Amino acid sequence: MRAVVKNKIGVFNPQGFLDGTTAPSMLTLDDIQATLALNIDMLLVSLKKVVFFNKNGLNVFVTLLESLHKKSGIIVGFCDYDEKQYASIENFYSDSLNFSLFRTYKIATLFTVSMQEVKEKKSILVWHEDPSQRSALAIELFDRGHSPIVCQSLSEFSQKKSQSDLYETIVYNSYLGLLGSKVATRVSGNAIIYTLSGFLDAEISNNFDIKYHNNSLNVGFTLFIFDAYKVVSMNIHGVNFFSKLATAGAEFGANICIVGMTFEKTPVNFKDELEDAGLMFFENMDDILQDKELLKDLGGSGGASRTNKRSLTKTLVNQLPRFINATVNTMEMMTNSKAEKQDAKVQPLTVEQAEGKLASSIGFYGDIDGMLVLIFPLSIAKKSCELLLGEQTDNVEDILDTLAEFVNIIGGRVKALLSEEKVSVNITLPRTYENVKDVLSTTGERKGVQVNLNFEGESFTFFLMR
Amino acid sequence: MITQEEIHDYIKSIPPSPTVLKATLRCIQEGELTKAADEAAKDPALKLFLQGIVNKPIYGFKNDIKDLRQIFGVLGLAQAEQIVYNYMISLLAPSQWELFSLSNKEFSEIQDSLSLAWKKILEYKSIKDKALYASISLLPASIIVCEALFKAKQDELQLLRSVKDIDYNTILKRLSGMDLFDLCEKIAEAWEMPEPIAQIVLASSGHTQPHDPLILELSKWMHLLFFYQLSQPVCTTAGLNDFIEFNIEYVQDIYEEFQDVVM
Repeated sequence: MRAVVKNKIGVFNPQGFLDGTTAPSMLTLDDIQATLALNIDMLLVSLKKVVFFNKNGLNVFVTLLESLHKKSGIIVGFCDYDEKQYASIENFYSDSLNFSLFRTYKIATLFTVSMQEVKEKKSILVWHEDPSQRSALAIELFDRGHSPIVCQSLSEFSQKKSQSDLYETIVYNSYLGLLGSKVATRVSGNAIIYTLSGFLDAEISNNFDIKYHNNSLNVGFTLFIFDAYKVVSMNIHGVNFFSKLATAGAEFGANICIVGMTFEKTPVNFKDELEDAGLMFFENMDDILQDKELLKDLGGSGGASRTNKRSLTKTLVNQLPRFINATVNTMEMMTNSKAEKQDAKVQPLTVEQAEGKLASSIGFYGDIDGMLVLIFPLSIAKKSCELLLGEQTDNVEDILDTLAEFVNIIGGRVKALLSEEKVSVNITLPRTYENVKDVLSTTGERKGVQVNLNFEGESFTFFLMR
Repeated sequence: MITQEEIHDYIKSIPPSPTVLKATLRCIQEGELTKAADEAAKDPALKLFLQGIVNKPIYGFKNDIKDLRQIFGVLGLAQAEQIVYNYMISLLAPSQWELFSLSNKEFSEIQDSLSLAWKKILEYKSIKDKALYASISLLPASIIVCEALFKAKQDELQLLRSVKDIDYNTILKRLSGMDLFDLCEKIAEAWEMPEPIAQIVLASSGHTQPHDPLILELSKWMHLLFFYQLSQPVCTTAGLNDFIEFNIEYVQDIYEEFQDVVM
């Protein structure tokens, strides 16, 4: 069985009956290895379409998932179950619940990273009978940029739950088992915020998701903020880690800031060393996020990096037909219509009538690196989403979410086509833009190959850049 | 990905049912088992199929039976009709499976387990109608149709299904307005199968609500039975577990009864 991978979460969706005889063939070690190769942070088994399971059946999955957690440190568990199924699982594993449980897939996404900003305005209501679980759920949510409200008693929860429209999501019948040790990450506007805690020593290099960081650089993020309020102290390994990060980010014009770090238990000269390496220190998060001028200077308001001088290479241009083929074939597959190429030019990204258009992008790195940007007229975006959504929709959030999946398919296809040519690349998480101006400010004056395509009379833009 | 033309071409490619089969089925429907056996004997492939089927351990006959009259006698009218229809459907199976990791022997095993479990269900429901017994035979045709339509599109499908939990049946419906079960209905029409067969199979997709309460009831049992079968190792290994979407809500009210009767 193949997993669906989205937002760095791999989900297996078995259907029907799960027992000791059927489960081993539903999920094999090979399936898990193939999914793990996609660089995921979480691996879940959805019980949404499982009508029957017993402990023998679940044990097969649990054994595989737990051994995976031991090897890779990723979060593993189950999602999309009902009240009865949750009670059964708790009952089966009351003494050894080492995996996580997320009542819905949406709840699981709150505990992982994405390239999209947390936009919810409402709080998240949290309840668990066990106080330590309540706290763990709340801390993890807070570190990822959400606003949890923790209920202290069942009666308080029942009362608040009845006003569900006041909350973005209600987290209950969920459980955090052994978590990954990765640094919590969130997106705020055009800044990436990493939350650190405890002692910053050699372990920081293992716990920091450098691939995600590189992905972010590749898709145009230039402001990286380390929330260090909960950091107790830092040793020389921590200093080296930040220095290396600053050096690697220089090519992209990245700015790295550390917020809330106290130097009570850390030598003050470390601060000087890091400032010399180009890092900036701030006392409060709002000193950056609320200062629009500063934010603009640092690149956190979507402005293009002025120092990024990366330009197209011959190797990348040679691979252009593969990128175009992957895009055109995917568009044709999704819209069941034919595409016509209109023109191709090397130029900065130029979009006529940006109003009413949507965009998505995906970065790639490896033997070659760069970024693919696609600009969709709303009608084409809607049509290409119909196959995945199963209905017509005017909800821009749904359309953007589906465009992210769409550009992910193209990225996967490019990767496969390039690997046939022995060119190895990895793809980043996709990013979407409700406003084309945001993508234009990311691409700036940098030149790329722009190809205008026509789908049923509508113009669609393909742009490949470094 | 799949065009209307491809769907029409597929429907056109469904061959008419062979004359011997038609005659055999007509005899069964008239209650003439001996004549049916004699008709079946005219087709060596059908004869071999029937001899192979009844001697499989799953049917639990104690002695090896070779004579067709004996075979039909042992099976009885309802099961004989069911097995002849299974044979008809197996004629559509590809010589080489590409989309699903199946062999024709495994496909035949799936047909057999479905047929026997369906017989159990109908006996439990005290249903005697032969056409209803035979309706299960059409269900695995959905696997054959899926294989035929999607085998050349595996790369595209793999990419699509890597980002979205979307089954083949839904993809087909969204692209063409027709699903695998609609195409099974076309097979039933082309092969002049009794009407209830197509009705139950169509409703067993879990997406349509038939007006006839008996058809509705049986379609729920068939939906759940199909997923019971699709959860078995032979199907999960073949990649069949999620080729169509399981509708749990549709079968919620019969689930406990199903456990008692089938599991």
